[in-house]
Amino acid sequence: MKLLMIDDDTGLCELLSEYLLSQGFEIQSVHDGEQGLKLAQANDYALILLDVMLPTLDGFEVLKQLRQTKLTPVIMLTAKGEDFDRIFGLELGADDYIPKPFNHRELLARVKAITRRIEHINSLNINTTNKLLVNGVTINLAAREASIDENTLTLTGTEYEILALLCKNASQVVSKEQISEEVLGRRLASFDRSIDMHVSNIRKKIAEHIKTERIKTMRGSGYVFIQGE
Amino acid sequence: MFSSKASKSGALSWLKHPRHYLFFKIFVWFWLTIIGTVTALVFLSNISVLNLVSNEPLHGPMEKNLAYTARSIERSAYKHKRSLESILSHPRLSKRKLLYLSAEQSDISFTNKETPINIDLSLLNFTKNMPPQIVFTEQYQAFGPVQLTVPEGVFYLYEIDINNQPPLFIRLKLMPGWIKVSIAIIASLILSFLFSRNLIAPINSLKKAAIKLSSGDLSARAAISTNRKDELGVLGRDFNSMANQLELLISSQKRLLADISHELRSPLTRLKMATGLAQMQANEASQSYLLRIEKEANQLDQMIADVLQVSRLEAKSQTLAMQKQSLNVIVEHVLNDAKFEAKQYDKQLTITGDASVTISCDEALIASALENLLRNAIKYANNTISIKLSHGDAVHIEICDDGPGVPNNQLDKLCEPFFRQSDARDRVSGGTGLGLAIAKNAITAHNGTLVLSNKDQGGLCANITLPIIKE
Repeated sequence: MKLLMIDDDTGLCELLSEYLLSQGFEIQSVHDGEQGLKLAQANDYALILLDVMLPTLDGFEVLKQLRQTKLTPVIMLTAKGEDFDRIFGLELGADDYIPKPFNHRELLARVKAITRRIEHINSLNINTTNKLLVNGVTINLAAREASIDENTLTLTGTEYEILALLCKNASQVVSKEQISEEVLGRRLASFDRSIDMHVSNIRKKIAEHIKTERIKTMRGSGYVFIQGE
Repeated sequence: MFSSKASKSGALSWLKHPRHYLFFKIFVWFWLTIIGTVTALVFLSNISVLNLVSNEPLHGPMEKNLAYTARSIERSAYKHKRSLESILSHPRLSKRKLLYLSAEQSDISFTNKETPINIDLSLLNFTKNMPPQIVFTEQYQAFGPVQLTVPEGVFYLYEIDINNQPPLFIRLKLMPGWIKVSIAIIASLILSFLFSRNLIAPINSLKKAAIKLSSGDLSARAAISTNRKDELGVLGRDFNSMANQLELLISSQKRLLADISHELRSPLTRLKMATGLAQMQANEASQSYLLRIEKEANQLDQMIADVLQVSRLEAKSQTLAMQKQSLNVIVEHVLNDAKFEAKQYDKQLTITGDASVTISCDEALIASALENLLRNAIKYANNTISIKLSHGDAVHIEICDDGPGVPNNQLDKLCEPFFRQSDARDRVSGGTGLGLAIAKNAITAHNGTLVLSNKDQGGLCANITLPIIKE
């Protein structure tokens, strides 16, 4: 499985390559934003590790431009405590973030959580038409796509996973903890807003096609996908 | 760089620019005040019963003219054997200004025309024995007396000018006593007020700036006009440039700390990564050392995060993710962790009151403030940590321990970054010395207050007040 790492810390790139290689991931590293963006657009990586502070083009700009053409999963490497970076990254369509300096095991866990889904699809037969239709939203479990009236929603991997999870449990409250563990592969940290950010992104994308709200917030407990008007 | 002009140009330089020196100012102002007082006193002493009348000697053509009139009256009386009355009523005299003749011995008097009712000519009788002069009264001005002898006896002649206002000085002299006193009082009041304000205003402004500066507001400056050249002006400017230097030094020191901390992160990330790699290949013996390296790296990581958080909060560059949240949710979350932590140390956590109130806050920040205070309390408590929650106009949270407390003179310093009360408070329990600083700054960022105090029966109490934002 091939990953792309865009980080100007060459030393870290070397160490991380070595570590992830030992875990079965091949890493290609580039050290500036522009080059990173070109590579990301030209190839299909399983995952991109993207630093925020980059020469020539910063991480947010790379993500913004990449998202116009590709939905490759992206984990942002943010500076710890910079809440704004984290939120902004998720808003732009990052799948997850990990604050620097990170623990190597934690990084591995997140990389695995996201790549596992891809492995999972690859093992499935794409041709099986395993579809779910809930209240106007069609989830194509095989193609990992969600659509409304033949219009495919441009969801990131994480957004798709969350929407699929909510649809599978339509009319039931799905807690943020459950979403975090099943989709991001990690326990929900206290006061972590990332699930809210993802759900807010999904809502915006659904709202482009359907005016009425589909996902309801249950204060303090989680989210519900509404079945029936 | 701050040397004043006085030291350069010698002792007598104040003679060249006297206005630049406070000494001169004080001197002149005192002088003026004393002159004012003396003048007022002189005025006051002049006030007497007689001061309705004032006079000065008569000289020149006016005197000659009056003498000539007297002689011509005498001539008419003796040569033409006419009575005084008929002489005065003669058109030649009756057309002139008002003439007043008063007998030497008796109260008999004559005038050449009708006297206005409000004019009291008898006042002039006081001046009969004086040489010719100008007599000022409130209503008129009289010239005389000139003595003349007629068959009826000896008379004194005055010429009266009714419409003439007496000169200013005389008018002042003629003013009633209470006006004079009031003027003296008001004038000296205004002078003294201006004097004191001139002196005290810059001192007050310096005082205010100094208090603000010492309370940590490094942007405080004394409001002293740049035109002011005296000692106070120089002092004010020296104070301001001192404050500038101080602000520059402290802000650059803080920035340096933040920059260093930020830069430390890259090597720290690599260190952690390298440790991870080493752990994968290490044998039993070296594994424990690697764990230790990892633990220390984590500690370093936490310290850097804390330093950055404090400096962001102090610089007010932290973006607060404000949202409405029930305090219960935050408190519950923090308390769950704290209970677990307290249990590990075999200490008890008691909670009273309730926090069912919605506040607008950055919950992560408030939680970290509470966490830090609780951790501190758990660390120093002997047996129990008590938490009291209440809310009215504001939210009050009290966190007390039953530990040794802190000497009163060090209470203020507890919230300073890296402050350690004594060697006894070491890093055994893994603190970074920044917990209270974070708590204080986080609460201040929410317009709340954190007050630390000692309980009478021993132990430290942290009192948090957070405003409730009403809609």
